[in-house]
Amino acid sequence: MGFRPMLSALLRNKTGPLVVMLQIAVTLAIVVNALYIVAQRIEKMNRPTGMDVDNVVVIYVRGFGADFDAEDSVRRDIDLLKSIPGVVAATVSNHVPLSGSGSGTGLRTVPDETIESVGTARYQWSEDGLAALGIELARGRNFLPSEVQYVRPGFNLAAPSVLVTQDLATELFGDEDALGKTVYWGSMEGSTIVGIISHMHGSWVNWDKLGNVVVQPGKPLYETNKYLVRVEPNMRDRLMPVIEQQLGESNRQRVVKSVRSLEEMAAASYRRDRGMAVILTLVVTLLVGLLMLVIAGLSSFHVTQRRRQIGTRRALGATRGHIIRQFALENWIIAVAGTALGAVLTVAVAYWLETSFSLPRLDWRYLPAGIAVAWAVSLLAVIEPARRAAAVPPAIATRSV
Amino acid sequence: MHPSEKAAAVPPVLAYYLKLALKSMRRNPVMTGLMVAAVAVGIGISMTTLTVHHVMSGNPIPAKSERLFAVTLDSWSPLRPFDDDRPERAPHQLTHRDAEALLRLGQGVRQTAMFESSLVIEPLGDTELPFEVTSRVTAGDFFAMFDVPFLYGGGWDREADRNAEPVVVLTRALNERLFGGADSTGERLSMQGRQFTVVGVIDDWEPTPRYYDPINGAFQEVRDTFIPFSLTRPLELNSIGSDWGWKAQDINSFDDWLNSESVWIQYFVELASPRDRGSYVAHLDAYVEEQKLAGRFERPMNNNVYDVMEWMAYHEVVDNDARVLVGLSFLFLLVCVLSTVALLITKFMGRRGEVSVRRALGASRGAIFRQQLVEVAAIGFTGGLFGLSFAWAGLRGIDYLYDTPDGLVRMDWVMVATAIAISIASGILAGLYPAWRVCQVQPAAQLKAQ
Repeated sequence: MGFRPMLSALLRNKTGPLVVMLQIAVTLAIVVNALYIVAQRIEKMNRPTGMDVDNVVVIYVRGFGADFDAEDSVRRDIDLLKSIPGVVAATVSNHVPLSGSGSGTGLRTVPDETIESVGTARYQWSEDGLAALGIELARGRNFLPSEVQYVRPGFNLAAPSVLVTQDLATELFGDEDALGKTVYWGSMEGSTIVGIISHMHGSWVNWDKLGNVVVQPGKPLYETNKYLVRVEPNMRDRLMPVIEQQLGESNRQRVVKSVRSLEEMAAASYRRDRGMAVILTLVVTLLVGLLMLVIAGLSSFHVTQRRRQIGTRRALGATRGHIIRQFALENWIIAVAGTALGAVLTVAVAYWLETSFSLPRLDWRYLPAGIAVAWAVSLLAVIEPARRAAAVPPAIATRSV
Repeated sequence: MHPSEKAAAVPPVLAYYLKLALKSMRRNPVMTGLMVAAVAVGIGISMTTLTVHHVMSGNPIPAKSERLFAVTLDSWSPLRPFDDDRPERAPHQLTHRDAEALLRLGQGVRQTAMFESSLVIEPLGDTELPFEVTSRVTAGDFFAMFDVPFLYGGGWDREADRNAEPVVVLTRALNERLFGGADSTGERLSMQGRQFTVVGVIDDWEPTPRYYDPINGAFQEVRDTFIPFSLTRPLELNSIGSDWGWKAQDINSFDDWLNSESVWIQYFVELASPRDRGSYVAHLDAYVEEQKLAGRFERPMNNNVYDVMEWMAYHEVVDNDARVLVGLSFLFLLVCVLSTVALLITKFMGRRGEVSVRRALGASRGAIFRQQLVEVAAIGFTGGLFGLSFAWAGLRGIDYLYDTPDGLVRMDWVMVATAIAISIASGILAGLYPAWRVCQVQPAAQLKAQ
């Protein structure tokens, strides 16, 4: 059967195909936009953090009572942690990267309050901090033990030397080499950049300056102290209960609030993104499944309705291949029309998402990919009914007339 | 055909239509199942997202939301605004000194300054280890302002606020843990090395969104304890919430911190009527005018109050993702309706022969139409029921994915009614046209063709 008679067959009973066409169009619009959002979230969650996230354990402890000696407690805790076999490095830190909680500040290249500062996350840790997070130093040097002091609640911000990430260095100094340069805090005191960290993430995963980090040397003594501990690969889950138990027994003057993996904390920070990705993936799966079922269901129904017609065609010399091709082609015509309308709808939905919710603009390559998938789906769905149509014996044409 | 066809006005006819519908549904179980599934999935997804949106955008205190106001004062840097993207906004929290001063002036019916802190409870027995609890540090007005229900006892009075009395109000859950759920008013509790007296235990209370503190999370559980704001200074209580600063100041003591320009205190006021808003802002302006003389508040006068729903909008409590999901899931529902239409048309058109026979035997077009609609309604209703249970499962999935407090996102009767309305509407939308089409069948032509 040629193209023209098939088209006229479709047009004669046009409401059914028209509705399927609409369904394909709306499905395409949702699927393409949803998958684009999913891809973006996955990309966001998989950004390199610059840290050995899988092997870092984060501990929160809190002292209490009038005679609690914070400095002594932190020193003993860190010594204890370092003595546990399997621990690579440990430090006390003011905050925990990727945790959603942190300290932010603004830095300038000149001591002038009136110019705009560059926003960055700020950490404070000992000479073991880089090893405790598995951070790579691109150039310059780490803190010297002599530079690292115990610091009462972080008010004296200006240490003589700091580390900055390459991202922050670039935003501050452009193409110039930042090593050895001075940065100025809000107090207009200066610090010298002694080392450049290749890359690391700060605390707030939804901040567009996640890669901006400045690190000061110091062992901060807060009400709640945070320890970062890096362990040998594959040792983390075995060591976490050991760490919790040993810390708990060593000092009854403080509460071990939590022992968590950095991996879990980072996952919690990305919870909304993962939730969105999971929900939209489910929606896309259901949509594609529904489309397949509907096409398959309708085609089966049509096969049953048109048994006589099919039998007649077979009796008149049409091969099984002809019959299969007829059904496939019929569906493909609907799919082409549906995706054509769907392309327009997709762009409309993308425009709506972009303007109303300031989501990033749709990557156009998702559209042809989506169209190809829609065609494949409609073809796949029709295979089984078409096979059954082809199995209709020619003899049926002669019966029950 | 059945003899009762003519007596279309009596109730038994509905039973007859239902019987026909069931018969027809059973004749094509796959098609029927597909239609029910399509409606169910559509309702399930759209009700899930709509419920999340409804919970996020709900009014947590409808009776008073127009009389409760968050207060902001523009104490920020003379060089730049608090928020570069929204320069018209003052900082969303106050300095401790301004909060203290406003409490002292007390120009509202009730007012409270507050922040979140954490305390270590040292149990009296030797067996249990000390543990940390979170605490809302607030004025005693808090409980009456926000309609907090009490299980035992009550809050504390302004006298207790003035004298910084070590009193504490517990949540029901913490009272369970500490006192086995008994009436603990008058009991002693050792926290931060001080003896506190329990004055009240609140009943279950989960305002959603947690409107009195969207800054530290609009969808978190209510804190374990409440203690007087005036204890901040003597107990040197630290905030576990966010603080923001602009001024480089030497801070060598807790008093220096309390007197600094850092903003970290949330402030709410209850007024007698929404109309008092203007005069209250005038009071704020008068206070700031005074402070300007002392060399503070160097920015232009910009003091504001926001009622509860304005405050929710200010903090964008309903996030974009939730809105996008509602939009996309209603497109999804549209697809489900379209599927049902496609399936129904095909099914009804396959029934032209039967319809023709019934028409030829005297059934009116209206009777045929009504009978088809009963079938559609049955499909819509069944789909809607399944859809509601899908939505229930979907919300449990949301709980899991977003780790929300138990029972935070659940369907209230508004949502259930909405779900039913939407399934009926989509059923009718899907069924009207196919039912009308099949009524247009010309019995004579159709029967002749057979």
